[in-house]
Amino acid sequence: MTALLRGLWVGRALRGLGSVVAAPCTTTVTTPRCNTLRRGLYSSALRPQGDSKADKTSSSAAAPSPTNLHERYRAHAAGGQDTTTAAGSLQGEASAEPATEPEEASSSSDTSYQDQSGEQEEEYETEEQLRGRILTAALGFVPLHGWTMEAFAAGAETLGMSSASTGMFDNGAGDMVSHFIAHCNSQLTETLAERHEQVRLGHAEPKETADFLRDAVETRLRMHIPYIEKWPQVMSTLLLPHNLPDGLKHLSHLVDDIWYYAGDRSTDMSWYTKRAALTGIYKTTELVMLRDSSPGFRDTWNFLDNRMRDINNMASTAKRVQATGEAVVQGLMGAAVTLKNLAGMNKRHTCNILVFTAAQASVS
Amino acid sequence: MQRAAHGALQHWAINVNLSTARQCLKPRAGPLLVTSRGYSVLPPPRDTEEKAMLDRMLRVDHAGEYGANRIYAGQMAVLGRSKMGPLIQQMWDQEKKHLAKFSEILAENRVRPTILLPIWNVTGFLLGASTALLGKEAAMACTVAVEETIAAHYNSQIRALMEEDPDRYTELLTIIKEFRDEELEHHDTGLEHNAESVPGYWLLKNAIQLGCRAAICISERV
Repeated sequence: MTALLRGLWVGRALRGLGSVVAAPCTTTVTTPRCNTLRRGLYSSALRPQGDSKADKTSSSAAAPSPTNLHERYRAHAAGGQDTTTAAGSLQGEASAEPATEPEEASSSSDTSYQDQSGEQEEEYETEEQLRGRILTAALGFVPLHGWTMEAFAAGAETLGMSSASTGMFDNGAGDMVSHFIAHCNSQLTETLAERHEQVRLGHAEPKETADFLRDAVETRLRMHIPYIEKWPQVMSTLLLPHNLPDGLKHLSHLVDDIWYYAGDRSTDMSWYTKRAALTGIYKTTELVMLRDSSPGFRDTWNFLDNRMRDINNMASTAKRVQATGEAVVQGLMGAAVTLKNLAGMNKRHTCNILVFTAAQASVS
Repeated sequence: MQRAAHGALQHWAINVNLSTARQCLKPRAGPLLVTSRGYSVLPPPRDTEEKAMLDRMLRVDHAGEYGANRIYAGQMAVLGRSKMGPLIQQMWDQEKKHLAKFSEILAENRVRPTILLPIWNVTGFLLGASTALLGKEAAMACTVAVEETIAAHYNSQIRALMEEDPDRYTELLTIIKEFRDEELEHHDTGLEHNAESVPGYWLLKNAIQLGCRAAICISERV
């Protein structure tokens, strides 16, 4: 721990305020999982410049005067946990935001601080953005080093940061894997949304559901190709207990997105059956891809085609079974009514029969 | 009223992209107000917490209307050809409308329906059918119990939304209020038709209400 601290101080010396980001994080992380704190451990020490990220960094953007900033930074370095950091937990938490919105309004003093310091600082960024950059840089080294801390270190170094900044990621491979999957999913969603827009505007023809699903799964799986050598490690990492919820969440969002853009608007059990079927197809195709050595992963896409055809067959069989079932039920109901009539149990008719026989009896 | 809303919308449409205005002006299924905003019933969620809250509310409302639908279906299966048939059919039609509206909202907002729908399907039908078999007063007592629970549930949702931000949720509040009023009408109809005269009314009513409350609690989460 102390060695880590020393390493971090060295990093800080190398890069002025920029590397300060890494140092206090490790000293002040008291919560078990750093990667669940998406923002704001740092937002208090940093002043968020970028307006595009302003909403995410609003918690404790308040650092109007340099003295406050220094005090807060010293408090962090000493290991004291700021209340704002405790509040700034998940991205988009509403609770902290309203309280800190008015403070954020006063962040126009950002620029005054910069001027006062007199240095030409690079843009301040949140911890989240920094982590994102390191993760993205680390992905480039994954084919070489695998999903390990070496890849992180190499990635951090390409960004000019100390390799000790990998201490930010206490869930190592899990963080990288989660980041990669989230990135792929968002790319897919963008592609699907664009296509949806095109179809809506009439620039493109809508595809058949089966074709759409097949293409979406293929597009998504193709994103794994550059990392396919080390993919088994990803799958095993996702199965670790602390990564399992994240992995399942990403998978469920992926499958929900694909079905939504395929046009599914169901609100009954078929919501679940459709997503379960697609999850099965996606996961099995992913596994087949690991073992596939055919050119261009042709075998994988054939496998995918076959699975889609199976699902189609199942769906049409289910419909036919239902129609047959309904016809059978109607037939049985008809038979039951006939039997009731024959047995004289149908009250209206028995009444008439009684009246009729009574009338006949009285006449005769 | 429709024309006044239409007039107001056209005035407002000047400030809005023509396509969204056209979408607002399109008549919507059901008797509900045409909204005067660019989006439909729900505002785009600001964060995950709000989305989670709205998801829970809509999921349980959808499940509730689905259950009520099945209860009336069960009652109709038994009492459909009796004197009460037309009345129950009329109440059932209103529930179908509510269900359709909630299904639409769920689909639009990508809300997950509760996984217990098949259970509510069977349970609702059995509840309706069994109370109807006990007699038409018992069927009315069941209606009274269920509608009272649903109305109380809608009231608590209205309170929650009003506490959060009444302006943000005006359309949703309007819909829930309208549905709550119709449920209360059903409740009053049930009372008018001698629901209270069934023997063991207190027991029946409370048992059904307990079951409904449990169902609401579970459907919010699962």
